[in-house]
Amino acid sequence: MFRLRSILVFLVLFKSFGSIIGEEEEKIEEFSEALLLRPLPDRKVLAHFHFESKVPPTATHGSHHHLFPKSIYQLVHKYRVQEMELSFTQGRWNYGRWGGYDPISSRNAKPPGVELWATFDVPQHQVDACWRNLTHALSGLFCASINFLESSTAYSAPKWSFKSFAANIRYGTLHREAVCTENLTPWLKLLPCRDKAGLSALMDRPSIYRGFYHSQRLHLVSNEFDLTAASSGMVLEQTLTVVLQPVTLGSGMVSSLGLIQQPSWSLSSLFGREVSGRCVLSNASNIYVQLEPNLVSELMTTSETQQQSDVENLMSQAWSDMSFEMSDSPVRLIEEVYGFQKESSLLYEFSLANYSDSRPFNLEFRWKRPVTWSSQLAPLQASRFLMGSGNERGAIAISLKSVGRSGYAESSVNQEGRCSLRVDVFQVVPWYVKVYYHTLKVFLDERLHNLADVIERINVSPSEDKVSPGLMEIALRLPCDVQLVILTLEFDKGFLHIDEYPPDANQGFDIPSALVRFPEIKTKIHLFEDKCVCKSPILSKLQEESPVLWYTEVLLVPLTTPDFSMPYNVITITCTVFALYFGSLLNALRRRIEEEERLLKSKDTNASGLIGMLLSKLSAKLRGKALEPPSLPLSSKVSYRLILRVILVAGIAAAWQYFFG
Amino acid sequence: MVEISVTATSSDPPNTKSEEEADFYPDTMRKTKPGLKRLFLTLTVFISFLIALPFLLKSIEIYRAPLPFDDIDLLSTEMEKNHLMFPCQFQAVFVNFDDDITAVNELALLINSHMQKLTSENTPPCGTCGNNFTVAVTIDSNSSCIHCESGNGNGNGKWQCGVLNGYDKMNDHDENFDDYLESVLDSKSKRVYTVVVVNTKQEDVRVVVGKYRHAWMVGIDSVEKAVEKMAEIFIKVFVNAGKEEGSIRGEFMPIGADGKVVLSFSLLNSDPHDWIYDWDFKELDEILLAPIVDALRPVADISLESQVLYHTPKSSYSYWDDTRGSYIFSTKDLPFFVNSNEWHVDASTAAGGRSKVLHFVLYVPSAKECPLKLQLPNGEISMTNGFISPMWGGIIVWNPPACVENFQVQRLSRQKISSEDLKMISEVFMGQLRQLFGLKSESLYVGGFATSVLLTSEKGFAEWELDVLSRHHTCFNLLQCGTTLGSLSRLVQSLPRMIIMDEIGKQVKYSLEAAKLSFGNVSLGYSDASAVSSRKARALAEDAFYHPSMMSVSYYSFEHCFAVYSPFFLPVSLHVLLAVIREWKRYKVENRKYLAWRVKLE
Repeated sequence: MFRLRSILVFLVLFKSFGSIIGEEEEKIEEFSEALLLRPLPDRKVLAHFHFESKVPPTATHGSHHHLFPKSIYQLVHKYRVQEMELSFTQGRWNYGRWGGYDPISSRNAKPPGVELWATFDVPQHQVDACWRNLTHALSGLFCASINFLESSTAYSAPKWSFKSFAANIRYGTLHREAVCTENLTPWLKLLPCRDKAGLSALMDRPSIYRGFYHSQRLHLVSNEFDLTAASSGMVLEQTLTVVLQPVTLGSGMVSSLGLIQQPSWSLSSLFGREVSGRCVLSNASNIYVQLEPNLVSELMTTSETQQQSDVENLMSQAWSDMSFEMSDSPVRLIEEVYGFQKESSLLYEFSLANYSDSRPFNLEFRWKRPVTWSSQLAPLQASRFLMGSGNERGAIAISLKSVGRSGYAESSVNQEGRCSLRVDVFQVVPWYVKVYYHTLKVFLDERLHNLADVIERINVSPSEDKVSPGLMEIALRLPCDVQLVILTLEFDKGFLHIDEYPPDANQGFDIPSALVRFPEIKTKIHLFEDKCVCKSPILSKLQEESPVLWYTEVLLVPLTTPDFSMPYNVITITCTVFALYFGSLLNALRRRIEEEERLLKSKDTNASGLIGMLLSKLSAKLRGKALEPPSLPLSSKVSYRLILRVILVAGIAAAWQYFFG
Repeated sequence: MVEISVTATSSDPPNTKSEEEADFYPDTMRKTKPGLKRLFLTLTVFISFLIALPFLLKSIEIYRAPLPFDDIDLLSTEMEKNHLMFPCQFQAVFVNFDDDITAVNELALLINSHMQKLTSENTPPCGTCGNNFTVAVTIDSNSSCIHCESGNGNGNGKWQCGVLNGYDKMNDHDENFDDYLESVLDSKSKRVYTVVVVNTKQEDVRVVVGKYRHAWMVGIDSVEKAVEKMAEIFIKVFVNAGKEEGSIRGEFMPIGADGKVVLSFSLLNSDPHDWIYDWDFKELDEILLAPIVDALRPVADISLESQVLYHTPKSSYSYWDDTRGSYIFSTKDLPFFVNSNEWHVDASTAAGGRSKVLHFVLYVPSAKECPLKLQLPNGEISMTNGFISPMWGGIIVWNPPACVENFQVQRLSRQKISSEDLKMISEVFMGQLRQLFGLKSESLYVGGFATSVLLTSEKGFAEWELDVLSRHHTCFNLLQCGTTLGSLSRLVQSLPRMIIMDEIGKQVKYSLEAAKLSFGNVSLGYSDASAVSSRKARALAEDAFYHPSMMSVSYYSFEHCFAVYSPFFLPVSLHVLLAVIREWKRYKVENRKYLAWRVKLE
């Protein structure tokens, strides 16, 4: 049995090896799965699922597939999609605690709701039509309201924030989209094993939606229509990033030193399930545990005091005598090689090939002593807020705060020898927030700065009422030693037509997240190329350079919301006034004044009954004419009664007001 | 008037007053005529309100495009009552018969009456010829050639006498003779169905229906028998495509309204842990399916797509049968076989609009239910191990060779289904496709006294079968168009406050026009043109029915209307009405007073 398994492992290794070697001769469809787990400094655990499907181009491979999802292939061909990224996110990535300077955060931290951008290989005038059709197809495919991105007020065409100088890119977000299991199921359907086997079987819906952050992403690259370049077909990358709070195993939260014990976790405690073997269709099926550079250095400095150890030692030595232990021994230990810096991350690799139904894989990660560390942060911490009050005007401010580290700067020294940092800001504003772009001000360390000195490039496309949103892309060139940068923009709040208000208008209106990008600061995991022969797609993805990104918060702008019953009120009041006028006019026309007076006179002569007399007297009084001098006691009696009555009514009203008001 | 009466009473000379005072009671009489000014005024207001009311109603009216309800009803009742009958032309050829056996006219009448008998047995289904056919008879003897036509045949594809003289290959090879007959008759362009009876000295009776539009009979010496058989072939085979009652009717044609059909082939590995099978669909596509797609092009535009799915167990049960050595699932399990939760044989995005998707599923059972076999109701095991679900598609259970051999060796590696197996599978799929289109998949037709051989085309569909399909397609489209428009008109009439856009009205109009055109083409015998216009009629009818504006219930509801107009019109109309009533009453009272005074005066 053992021999068989080792043969199998060898076979798997050989197969993937062969696929790399024989890339030129024969391309086949490939699928791979991987899960990366990383303990986070704030007692949480990041789980990052990564699935990749590759298909060779249609020209050589044909249009019939064995692994690649048919629906995606048809989508690409029907709408001629070159590249597309769709993400469904719940919660907000905590850049301060979970890190903002690693490939996973820069790729998988997404704004809440749905974000979609796509580039098309069609002439310029067809791009919008393609985008509209694509949004409808995707909304059907993923059971989400992506079709709301169809309207031209919902999407924009950024010039250089996503793909440099791509003319046929469209970008849109839906921040209110609720993400739930009905979006995950169709996403899983694109995987050959769905959630029946392999790593995706871990996705127990209650556990993954209980997390603090949940981002499900689909990234598609296709150069099917690119005839000049050597086409590599289509690559579909599906990732699910969740941040979970492990259920603490055992007690002893606070150690003697006052340090907080990190919670130990296992796959079953995180997900409530275990992995029972790999998906048989995947080429590689690995689980990685990543220790962040700061954590590794922290562990090393603390262990140095106890015993002489270095990275080599860390590798050769059993992890059991370190500050943590793992229940299974990893297949490999991959160490990041990053210049001469001490800080480098560690990756423990576990292969699922050896596990099966009868022997499920349940990795357990147990801390032995309390450790504190912090994640690597982006060079500037971005946040965005609103200024001003009232329902008329306000201002958006984007603040970039230095984290006080200059380690990022060495790559960005320009010719004059001055250290500078380039920051791109991308902001889409809905049309009803009318931004005055000329009011853009930049404050460096709380001093107003000349725009021309700071801004390298700017692209603004102002919003058009009910047609298109406003878009602003700025490339800032900042000195490295700057501590605080604030950009402000003033805006007027627009008025919407009564039909355009969403159902819950009083909640306010969202301004989508701004994207702050550091294009010169690239992040990747540095691995020895020759050391890992059987590269897994997740590792090669992590080795790709990607710029550091930061999505800011979604802003909530309260707009003036009308009283929605107002039209009816106005109609009712106006109509009543008109009706009164009309009625009195009609009455005036058909009134016979003399006859009435005559009647009154004849009634006066034979007036009978107390009430009639009172009434006539009252009317006489109201007219201000002393018709006839009445007897005095009767008059005083009447007025007395009248006053009593008025007082009674007023008392009742006051009581009503007091008790029920 | 009041003032006048007042002045009259005050300015009366005192001398007359005394004598008149005696019999003048101001409560019951008056001396002047009651005035009409105020009554006239209020009535004017009231009447102008009445006149303005239609204008108001007109201004708050909801726009509803006029729909031709009568025409729609006419169409749907016409489709329900009398089925669409296509004109057909038949030709009977008697070769080597004595020309004096009977008069040719009588023969024609005889065939006609036989055919009438066959068609009148039951009401003809839609898409057949009914009684709308012509029969031409030719007797081709060695010496003479007599031709006769009944009805208004135009002599199309007339039989050339003597072409079979010296042709003795008809027993050698049916295919060759079929091709030879086609070259003689050229039915492709003329659309005449021909049956040739050859009188040879031969013992066994042999009836063959060719791939084109003709059939031949050998070994029948009696004319009566030949005539009977001939009528049967005309009606039962050429017109009805050998369909019996109870089979899939022509009303269900799996062709989309745009004339497109997507054949979606899925290979389902129910448990990839046991084995993974793969197919070379390219081969299946190019070699086996491409001819069918080509053959069906006149009827439908077919596109193909394929996918391989994994982890797709079936949802019905099967039990182990020791005697057969296999797992058995019976026909009553079939409704539960398709596992819609796990089989994601989705509608494809390529099939946009209203194309019809037909799913063909090749199910590879897992090791714990292998070999899996289908038991027919009569207890036998199905030969094809597959079944169809009308309008959905077909399913074949394919038992991999590994399930009887030792499969441990081949585990986890991807294996290809061998091309022999693939060929067999594709043949079953083809049979299923024929069944889904309502054709028989056997190559024999058991008729009255002799079994006819139906030659199979390598393209899967014979010419006469395509004719049947095209007729059924036209019929199905018109039927659908009629029902869709009928339900549209019912819906529109039942919701009086629904906005109907002009576009819908236009679509309905064009749809009706196209349907009318299709009817016209049918009666003229242009089957292709009628298929095109019927398709258009159905597509337009569905466009109208599924128009987005139809979905939204009118925003301008009656409640809204009432809320907007009642604050003004309710009080004002009360005022006006009361004023009119009061004035009228008063006028009547005053008039009576005046009359009373007049009477008194006289």
